[in-house]
Amino acid sequence: MQPNLKTTLSGYVTYKGGQGLYVFLLHRITGLGTLLFLSLHILTTATVYFSPSAYDRFIEVFRWPPVMLAEIILVFCVIYHGANGLRLAYIDLFKPELWEARRSNKAVVTTLVVAILLSLPAAAVMGYNLLKYGFGLF
Amino acid sequence: MTDITMGSKNEVTLWKWMRYSALLLIPLAWGHVLIQDILVGGHGINLDYVAMRWSMLGWRVYDFFLLAFAFAHGVNGLRQVLNDYIQSARSRKNVAVGLFIFWLLITLVGAAAIIGGVRLPN
Repeated sequence: MQPNLKTTLSGYVTYKGGQGLYVFLLHRITGLGTLLFLSLHILTTATVYFSPSAYDRFIEVFRWPPVMLAEIILVFCVIYHGANGLRLAYIDLFKPELWEARRSNKAVVTTLVVAILLSLPAAAVMGYNLLKYGFGLF
Repeated sequence: MTDITMGSKNEVTLWKWMRYSALLLIPLAWGHVLIQDILVGGHGINLDYVAMRWSMLGWRVYDFFLLAFAFAHGVNGLRQVLNDYIQSARSRKNVAVGLFIFWLLITLVGAAAIIGGVRLPN
C-alpha cells in the first residue's frame, strides 16, 4: 500500500474529527456506492439496444432478493448524498460564512434526519416488494 | 477568507460545476428513483416497459440529461476523491486521463442505447 494512502486510511480511524468526519465519509461512501451501481446500471440497461436477450437475463439478477435489499440501501445512498450535497452546495455557493464556526453542526443532523424520513416510505414500498416477490408473502 | 489560494482554473470550474450539477440532479435522479424503484418497482420493468417509456421523446431527453449529468458528476467525484490519496502531479494526470476514457466510453454506450432505442425480439 502507498504510504500516503495508508496514512490517510489510518487517519480516518485515529483522527478525532467527530461529526464532521463521519459526514464527510458518509458523503463519499454513498457517492462512490451510487457511482458503482450507476456504471453497471448504464451498461446493463444499454443492452435493451445492444443485446435484448442479455437484458432479460440482467433483470432476473435485479429480482434476486439480496440485490433487491441492496437496492433499498442504494436508494438511501441517493437520498442522503443528494440531501447532504444540497446542504454543501447551498453553503458553498450562497453562505460560505457558515463554514467558519461550528454553526453547521445542527444542519448536519437535520440533513441526516430528513434523508432518513424520505427513505422510510421508499424502504417500506421496496421492502413490501421484496417480501412479496422475493419471499412469496402477501 | 480572501487569502485562500485557489487551485488551477480548471479545478475551480469543476468544483463549481459539481455543485450546479448537484442542484439539477436532485429533481432528475430523485425523480428517476421515485418512478422506477418506488412507483413502478423492479418487477414492473422489462423490455416492453422500457420500449413504452422510450416511445415518448420527453423521457428519452430526460434519460439523456440524467446520463450526461449523473455519470459525469460521479466520475469527476471519483477523480476528486482519488486526488486526495495521490500526491504526484503525473499520477493525478494519468488517473484523470483514465477516468475520462472510462466516462466517455460508458456515456457513449448509454447514449447509443437511448438514441437506438429498444430492439424488441420478433
